[in-house]
Amino acid sequence: MKGALESLGWDPLLVSTPREITNASHLVLPGVGSFRTAMLRLKEAGLVEAIRGYAQTGRPLLGICLGMQILASWGAEGGGEEGLNLISGKVVALQTGPGIRIPHVGWNTVHLQSTHPLFDDTKNEVDYYFVHSFAFEAEKKNQVYSETEYGVRFSSAVGRENVFGVQFHPEKSQKNGLQILDNFCRWDGLC
Amino acid sequence: MKRCARCGLPETYETIQFDSYGVCNICRQHEYKKDKIDWSERKGMLDSLVQDYRGKNDYDCLIPFSGGKDSTYTLYYLVKEYKLKPLVVQFNHGFMRPNLLANNERTFKKLGVDVLSFTPNWKVVKRLMLESLIRKGDFCWHCHTGIFSYPMHVAIKYQIPLVFWGEPSSEYTAYYDYRENEIEKVDESRFNRFVNLGITAEDMKGMIQKDFDLDPRDLAPYTYPPIRDLKKLQYQSVCLGSFISWDTKRHFEVISKELGWQGDEVEGMPTGKYSYEKIECYMQGVRDYLKYLKRGYSRVTQMTALDIRNGRMERQEADQLVAQWEGKKPPSLRLFLEYLEMSEEEFNKIVQKLVVPPFKPDFQKIPSAGQTKDFDRWYREMKA
Repeated sequence: MKGALESLGWDPLLVSTPREITNASHLVLPGVGSFRTAMLRLKEAGLVEAIRGYAQTGRPLLGICLGMQILASWGAEGGGEEGLNLISGKVVALQTGPGIRIPHVGWNTVHLQSTHPLFDDTKNEVDYYFVHSFAFEAEKKNQVYSETEYGVRFSSAVGRENVFGVQFHPEKSQKNGLQILDNFCRWDGLC
Repeated sequence: MKRCARCGLPETYETIQFDSYGVCNICRQHEYKKDKIDWSERKGMLDSLVQDYRGKNDYDCLIPFSGGKDSTYTLYYLVKEYKLKPLVVQFNHGFMRPNLLANNERTFKKLGVDVLSFTPNWKVVKRLMLESLIRKGDFCWHCHTGIFSYPMHVAIKYQIPLVFWGEPSSEYTAYYDYRENEIEKVDESRFNRFVNLGITAEDMKGMIQKDFDLDPRDLAPYTYPPIRDLKKLQYQSVCLGSFISWDTKRHFEVISKELGWQGDEVEGMPTGKYSYEKIECYMQGVRDYLKYLKRGYSRVTQMTALDIRNGRMERQEADQLVAQWEGKKPPSLRLFLEYLEMSEEEFNKIVQKLVVPPFKPDFQKIPSAGQTKDFDRWYREMKA
């Protein structure tokens, strides 16, 4: 993630304190792991309020993969836990089925539902790279910016004002993915 | 060989495909260029691009410049139409012809522009020519890569984000298809897609360092600069021909009239017919000859195909020109073999392995092409 942003000419910093988050111009929540553990760790470090406070200032926030899921109100993974509640919805397990193995790993198509500055200069109906077992169910349809099919149709990009989240990994998704990251770094948080 | 029913390009042409009418994709993308692309909208895009960068740095833009018709027209157009202050950057491949140098001087003085010229180490160039001849049957790797990477290093050094190339590659090939209706970005992907023949400078280092006294820095001019540096610069590297409809013959008329730009004869090309094409390099004859030996066609076919597409020639005349001019051995081959210290048998043996089927060259029956007037002024290695 850091390497991808650096290659695009930006200067990312890894941050771990509320103060650093308060000072950021753009904030990325990357993420691998489980919903509950992630939220508990953020709470321990006193970062939940810092991230919410940051989001309220209108500066751009991007959640990626688990970082996108914890934007939700609630997540089922690990026994259930409240999320950051920045975008209304819950995160539930993908279901296995014929030809559907969990986790969902690999390239899959992203169907854009409406335009957003982060998708500028990317192509519609192209593949991005996914690794996940749970998926975002957004409460409001107008906060779903893209959908992807894997057994079910789930929200692969969600957004509300200056907050945006993608289930896929833009940093691993070649040209279009890097374009999203570049767009994010140029974004003023307005839609 | 199978040929396009319309323009005559053969099946050995790179990126070619034929549709059910037997017409090639290059012809189809030209139809799209003529009928579907909204060139007034594109011109508007150019206006705003220029507006975004004008007056912000020491130069408004950087123009890589060979002195051929395309870069000359590009320079002329941007200076005259937009009154831009460009930095002109010339990568000297080592074989610039006297008429070209005279054209360049006239162009620079008439337009009033700053010019940087760079000539890479000749000993390194010769070793690179040998390696890319052996690997690809195309000895021009140093020129392909140097032309496209060196100016980008200069753009970074001088902090000039806007770089203008001339002709888009869609004019001749389908790596970037006009029908995609996108602006062709002259970036590292394009560089790796076809410019560098699939050989990076890093690859090249591994290929030649065993038998050549190489300083790794020798390959810097051929190495694409780090994408981070270019992104930091917020670079835009585009072809003028993505914004105005490219018309070589008309451009030739304009630069002749306005800049006194003069055409030249080229080995193996019909006299007087295409005097504006590829006049910048005295190894062009060898390049065209290699193309013929590998693929069974040469630049006569390419030029007549373009004329047919533009409605300027009938197929019959094209076939006659091709039959009369193509496949002749150029006098420059002798110089080339001297540079690389190679016999013609060795040369033929290398080429034989790289022929593109179904074409089969007959090395026994090859007539010679005539000398051009400036032949005696081309560089010869001193005999030891």
